[in-house]
Amino acid sequence: MRRRSLLLAALSAPAFAAEPVPALLREVRQRLANEPVVRGVFEQRKTVKGFRNPLVSTGDFVVARDRGVVWRTLQPFASTLVVTRDRVLARGADGSVARRLSASEEPAVRAISETLFGVMAADLQALAQRFTIEGELVGREGWKLALLPRDAALARWVQRVELEGEHFLRGVKLAEGSGDLTQIHLARHTTSAALRPEEESQFE
Amino acid sequence: MSDPSLLGSPEELTHLPQVAATPWRLAGLAWLVFVLVVVVHQVQFWRAGKLDTDVLALLPVSEQAPEVGRASKLMAEGVSRQVVVLLGAPAWSDAKRAADQWRHALEQADAPLRASVGAQSLDQILDFYGSRRDRLLTPAQRAELLQAPPGSQVQRALALLAQPGASARLADFASDPLGLFPDWLQARAAQTRARPRDGELWVHGEDADWVVLIYEITGAPFAMNGNALYQPALDGALQAAQREVPGARMIAAGLPLHAEAAAVRANNEINTIGWGSLAAVLLLAWLAFRRLTPILLTAVSLAIGVAAAISVTAWIYGSVHLLTLVFGASLVGVAEDYGIHYFASRQGQPWARPRTLMRSLLPGLVLALSTSVLAYLALGLAPFPGLRQMAVFSAAGLLAAFLTAVCWFPLLDRHAPRDTRFAARIRDSLARYPSWRNTRLAWSIAAVLAVLSLIGLVRLHASDDVRDWQGSPPALIQAQIKIGRLLGTPSVAQFYLVRGASPQEVLEREEALKERLDGLVARHAFAGYAAVSDWVPSLRRQQADARLTARVEAEVLAGVNAALGERLVRPAPGAGALTPEQWLAHPASAAARTLWLGADHGQYMTVVMLHGLHDAKQLPLLEGAAAGLDGVRWVDRAADISSLLGRYRWSMTALLAAGHALVLFVLWLRFRRAAWRTWVPTLLASVLAVAVQGWLGEPFQLANILALLLLLGIGVDYGIFLLEHDGDGAAWLAVVLGAASTWLSFGLLALSSTPALHAFGLTLMVGVLLVWLGSPLVRSGAGHPKKAAE
Repeated sequence: MRRRSLLLAALSAPAFAAEPVPALLREVRQRLANEPVVRGVFEQRKTVKGFRNPLVSTGDFVVARDRGVVWRTLQPFASTLVVTRDRVLARGADGSVARRLSASEEPAVRAISETLFGVMAADLQALAQRFTIEGELVGREGWKLALLPRDAALARWVQRVELEGEHFLRGVKLAEGSGDLTQIHLARHTTSAALRPEEESQFE
Repeated sequence: MSDPSLLGSPEELTHLPQVAATPWRLAGLAWLVFVLVVVVHQVQFWRAGKLDTDVLALLPVSEQAPEVGRASKLMAEGVSRQVVVLLGAPAWSDAKRAADQWRHALEQADAPLRASVGAQSLDQILDFYGSRRDRLLTPAQRAELLQAPPGSQVQRALALLAQPGASARLADFASDPLGLFPDWLQARAAQTRARPRDGELWVHGEDADWVVLIYEITGAPFAMNGNALYQPALDGALQAAQREVPGARMIAAGLPLHAEAAAVRANNEINTIGWGSLAAVLLLAWLAFRRLTPILLTAVSLAIGVAAAISVTAWIYGSVHLLTLVFGASLVGVAEDYGIHYFASRQGQPWARPRTLMRSLLPGLVLALSTSVLAYLALGLAPFPGLRQMAVFSAAGLLAAFLTAVCWFPLLDRHAPRDTRFAARIRDSLARYPSWRNTRLAWSIAAVLAVLSLIGLVRLHASDDVRDWQGSPPALIQAQIKIGRLLGTPSVAQFYLVRGASPQEVLEREEALKERLDGLVARHAFAGYAAVSDWVPSLRRQQADARLTARVEAEVLAGVNAALGERLVRPAPGAGALTPEQWLAHPASAAARTLWLGADHGQYMTVVMLHGLHDAKQLPLLEGAAAGLDGVRWVDRAADISSLLGRYRWSMTALLAAGHALVLFVLWLRFRRAAWRTWVPTLLASVLAVAVQGWLGEPFQLANILALLLLLGIGVDYGIFLLEHDGDGAAWLAVVLGAASTWLSFGLLALSSTPALHAFGLTLMVGVLLVWLGSPLVRSGAGHPKKAAE
């Protein structure tokens, strides 16, 4: 019964015990809104290796602190990405599932889903377990952070993340291991206390 | 030369022509030479420690297909030194801490265990497969690419392109626009439930998170002194882990643990049976003879018997199995008969010269020996390597003990044993012993016994369970099952064996089989399979898949180019075909290398194993899946062995009947019309012993039949002794002493924790007792026709 496990997408980053969050992160969390649900729109610019033009897409998003993120691309091609702490589900324009990753089946997926969720929801405490975080405070309300993966396997997928914002997360820069670079601008933030039923159903 | 019938009175004996001394001396010398050879060999043998504890040795070899046996053996070899340990706690962080403590404690303890090389790194996998990923598809991917409408794949690629970080691609977009390769890798990883997590292997189940640790033993498979080594080391490490994490649990399994448990148990049993029997024999000899000579000589004959048995077995087989020694330990209670018989006669006729006396005893002794040796050798007719070894061991041991008694006793024995009150009482008891009369009382007792036997026989149930031949402790078997369930490891009892004239033929045959299995997996007959062709498809399949991916990906890229105004070009696939040879030579094959059994008699062999097979009702379906496929054989070891055990239960029953007929014929040659007196007690004892089995509710199995064979060999001896020396109290004394020690030996064997040996011992314990009590009942009052009544 010599069954060796295959380090699949090998994203089994050591989840470090929550170390004391440095003063910087404490301060950034002070400055961030702490609402159960945040909605807004995004513009994403992705440069993919081998593509001449950057891929620009726009859409809207919902971040529910306790549930997950719904990332709805509207232009140029409709698609939806639903991220919870332990699942990533991508749907194409026709609603068919383009990719489903579940951490209960594949623990390596947890590194992806937690990171994506952490980035989109600016969940700094979760991110601090997988990334070393450096940064600075900007003015009286702003902040800038740079995240480097603590683990080589995670670095295979994401090499560097940059986050910036003030009361809300405003900008994300995601450098992927495959050489792709994603830059996202988030705007028109609104907050509320609860999800709408149709948003709720996305998490089913 | 000397007519035993003349051994009437002291006066006559002194005038007897003496048995020539020289041949006897020569025989004694020749035997001495042999014994010295054995002694030298013994010294070497115990220094080298050539004992083996192959847990499967008692299991029969597959007689239908030699390749099945070879495959099983090769599969066992792959894991024969591996120990799998799971450390668990309700929370993952606790499980990790427990594992760290456990590892640390094991290192401190300096146990001969080495952590196996862990999972091969993703880099190695990517290095081997990355450039050839275009020819690797899972069945699901293949179906989807073949059936999907043209536009849908383009939509999928565009959706994945747009989403942030959702692709987790292993290559640039143009060389794998649909992300087929990561999916294929994930399907390969799914062959075990264990997953990498935080630098450990992780599995969840039974309300706990477990760290999976794989170790290999570095020392001997078991300690010669019978002390356990590995299990205590694991348990000690667990205690250390529990000091840190109180709720930590451990499950450990692996062949070395089974072998070690078997060795420890065998050691205890050999000591119990061997020394127990020896003490009994010597005590009886002391009580009966009250001289040192008989005790010493009996001990010498037993020592030589056992030593010769071990040496002969080692010469023939190269090593001696521990279970052979367990069984062989009961030989002590059988092999002493010849010496005891001689001394009992000496005691009865102190005036007789030793050699003359031995000469007169020889016919009976030789007959007794040959029935016993034949019975033991008959055990070897069943195709069980372990049993054959036991048969050789016992026959050699009996013969050596017999030859020691015959060649040496008359030369070394200077003084007839003193007559003791103990011996006299036993001798005299024969005259008072009831004998069969045609009375109403006798017939009513017989009728009651007959009814009781019938009830017992009716209540009998047969068992051909393979587990009767494996005495592993239940806790270990439970652990093995638990680990199998948690990790989803494939069953080793059921698998497909695929053969072909070339590696490619084998792979193609595997693929034909897998197409059928995919249908069964879809119907949830079982969870999945593991095969070499998952990792290295046949060239034909690789070419077809490469063409398919080339076509679909070209379409996708064209669609993406049209939608985004790009000019993406699919790069030409890097490397060419994958072959099993390349794969085997590369570290990337570590996960599945054991499925490749290599070439054998010009045939290449692989194993296709099954995961998640928990429902015995599915077995016929699985057997059907191999039907009509060339070179594919469904192997169900458990069922094979059970049916083999069943077949042998019947054929050995037939052999037992034939044996009874043959023995009766041999006895008739010597005793003519009185022969039934030596045989009937054994027959009745056999029937009653089986009935007792029914009364006790113990299953009737092949081991019981084999025990009855042996009972035939041993039981008629008592009748022979009593009839040879009709009404002679000395013969009765020899029978009582011999039967008592035999009975005790097998009684001790009945304590064995190996179910088959237990059944064996129990049947003989009951049977020997009944023959012992029954033989004098049918002694002839009239005496042997050839003898004058005393």
